[in-house]
Amino acid sequence: MTLTTVVNRLATPNPSPLLKQAPTTVLFGIAVVLVAANPGSLTSFPSIVAATVAIVLATVLATVLTAMSPLAKFALLVPAIDLVAIGFLRFGTGEALSSFSALIILPIIWFAAEEGREHIWFAFIGTAIVLIFPSVAGLSDSSALSVLLRAAFSAAVFTIAAAVINELSRQAKLRLSSVRRLAEERKSALESNELRTNQLAESEASLRQAQRMFRGLWGAVTEQAVIGTDLTGMIDAWNPGAALMLRIGADQVEDKRHVDEFHLADELEDRARELNYPAGATVLNPGFSALVEEARLGSAEVREWTYRRADGTELPVELSVTPRLDDDGETVGYLFVAHDRTKAHEVAKLKDDFVGLISHELRTPLSSILGYLELMRDDDDDELTETQLQYLGVAERNANRLLVLIGDLLFTAQVESGKFNLEQHVQSMSPIVSAAVDSARPAAVRAGVTLVVEIIDGGMVRGDSVRLGQACDNLISNAIKFTPAGGTVTVSLHGEAHQIIVTVSDTGMGIPESEIDQLFSRFFRASTATRNAVPGVGLGLTITKAIVTAHGGEMGVGSEEGVGTKFSMTLPIEQPARVFSADLAQ
Amino acid sequence: MSDSHEAASPRKARVLVADDDPDIRVLVGIAVRKSGLELVGTAVDGTEAWELVRELKPDLLVTDVSMPGLSGLELCSLVRDDDELSGTRVVMLSAAADEAAHIAGRDAGAVDYLIKPFSPRELAERLVELTQSSTARL
Repeated sequence: MTLTTVVNRLATPNPSPLLKQAPTTVLFGIAVVLVAANPGSLTSFPSIVAATVAIVLATVLATVLTAMSPLAKFALLVPAIDLVAIGFLRFGTGEALSSFSALIILPIIWFAAEEGREHIWFAFIGTAIVLIFPSVAGLSDSSALSVLLRAAFSAAVFTIAAAVINELSRQAKLRLSSVRRLAEERKSALESNELRTNQLAESEASLRQAQRMFRGLWGAVTEQAVIGTDLTGMIDAWNPGAALMLRIGADQVEDKRHVDEFHLADELEDRARELNYPAGATVLNPGFSALVEEARLGSAEVREWTYRRADGTELPVELSVTPRLDDDGETVGYLFVAHDRTKAHEVAKLKDDFVGLISHELRTPLSSILGYLELMRDDDDDELTETQLQYLGVAERNANRLLVLIGDLLFTAQVESGKFNLEQHVQSMSPIVSAAVDSARPAAVRAGVTLVVEIIDGGMVRGDSVRLGQACDNLISNAIKFTPAGGTVTVSLHGEAHQIIVTVSDTGMGIPESEIDQLFSRFFRASTATRNAVPGVGLGLTITKAIVTAHGGEMGVGSEEGVGTKFSMTLPIEQPARVFSADLAQ
Repeated sequence: MSDSHEAASPRKARVLVADDDPDIRVLVGIAVRKSGLELVGTAVDGTEAWELVRELKPDLLVTDVSMPGLSGLELCSLVRDDDELSGTRVVMLSAAADEAAHIAGRDAGAVDYLIKPFSPRELAERLVELTQSSTARL
């Protein structure tokens, strides 16, 4: 290890105690060798021995402290012992005349280099003790005054040196820590820069992915026309679906044509009239205003329109119009999504035709069956036996069942296509309910079910008596079908302030709770019905609900499996029972 | 013709039946006879029915609505618009149960509209009622 290396090591921020101790130990060794070589300079041999013991002790302690870093706080013991050793060396080599007094500077530098002003005082006290102690202790022969003066002066010089070193060390440490802090800041800035760069790359990648996704989606939508416009209706987006549907490419419409040019002027005019010419209408483009009125007011609108293609042909579409918003939520344009309804219209017409045909083709043979059965029953010349009449009854009942089923199918189709008309009159519900109960009696008797009726005339309703009767028939016949022999079906009618309530409750097999929600769906059959082989196709409740809803009423249902079911239909009251009068009853 | 109409003796009202379904034709024929009226003819489609109506000038025409050739509604309108046939009244039988069909029948000038399947007994009663009111009015 060269001298330069040692100095460099000592200059590192935290040299080890052993490294700090090394110069003292080495120079002390040289001093001892010099004393041995020049015995004339030796004034007290025991002092030299004590000094050597002390320096060995200090060096060992420095070694231990270096090896056991947690004990580093005791490191200042080492220069303290060094001071004692140097005190003895100095005393043993002629005290004031000693050639080795300068060694004292090394432990003083150690003290002075420590952080904190108090170490200057440690250096001062240490120096004073080393220089003054021999005289004060009476070990020295020298004149006390001159010794004290020299000691005090040297101590002062060393203390000032210590103060300067302490300050320089402090400043060096400050600079070091500032450099370190700057280095840390630079490192963290570099790291955050790298992080941002990575984030930017990631968002660019996800943006590219989103763009790819959007382009893919935009191109994939070929069955729907998606058209974007600005606030005036000028087209600025035209997807491949729009190009296919309207038979004109995006390059010919974007920024060139208005969306309402693809609509029928009559339809737009009708709509504008319907909306009482919306406030947003402009002289230049009133049709467009009618088209986007609801979207302009903030809601999405879906309705049927007719598109006129570029080649002049027309097609029905279901068009959804929504506003396009900017970052601040301001409407900056509109989006038009259309799908072709041509097929749906064809299917609806086919269905109507089919239902009409089926109805006709099934009713005609049933007319013959029922008609001729009646002729047989009414034949006075050739009276039938009791058994034959019974067989005839079965045939009639089943033919009638078929007839009801056809009627139900036809009615369901009418409800679905919205072509279901009600012949509404103001009337009392009691005769309707009574008639339904009467017509259900034979079935109840056959099924061994007791039919209980509780009718309190609750007032008048506005409705179609045939349809309301059908609704009651359905509920009562259902209740009878689902109630085992010995059970009871209770039909009740009563009025409340604003409504009339008909309830049909039974002590039947009930409906599982999980199926209640589906009860009114077309062709749905409860598991209890299929399990118990109760005949039916699952249209009765659909029809009943459609009738009640068409009358502005509501259906209710409560059921417990194995206990029974209660259906209720609530109809708005037209007139309370009190003011029921003869002419209204007609 | 008007002379015989005014005869006091209960002359049997004359009925023509038109339906493309042979079984229904027979069934309606039986109902006509049961009601004590006279079945003067049957037609298998609208065109034949129109020829027979003009030839026989029946008191009542009981016709199906949906028939080949002329439909029951068209037939009814022709009868209504023909002055020579002012004595012929039309009863319609239809498999279409909806209100719109009923209204169309009334609009075409039918005096009654029965929905298939119908009860032959009820048809007979209705025919008797119609002929009685007709006689009373005449």
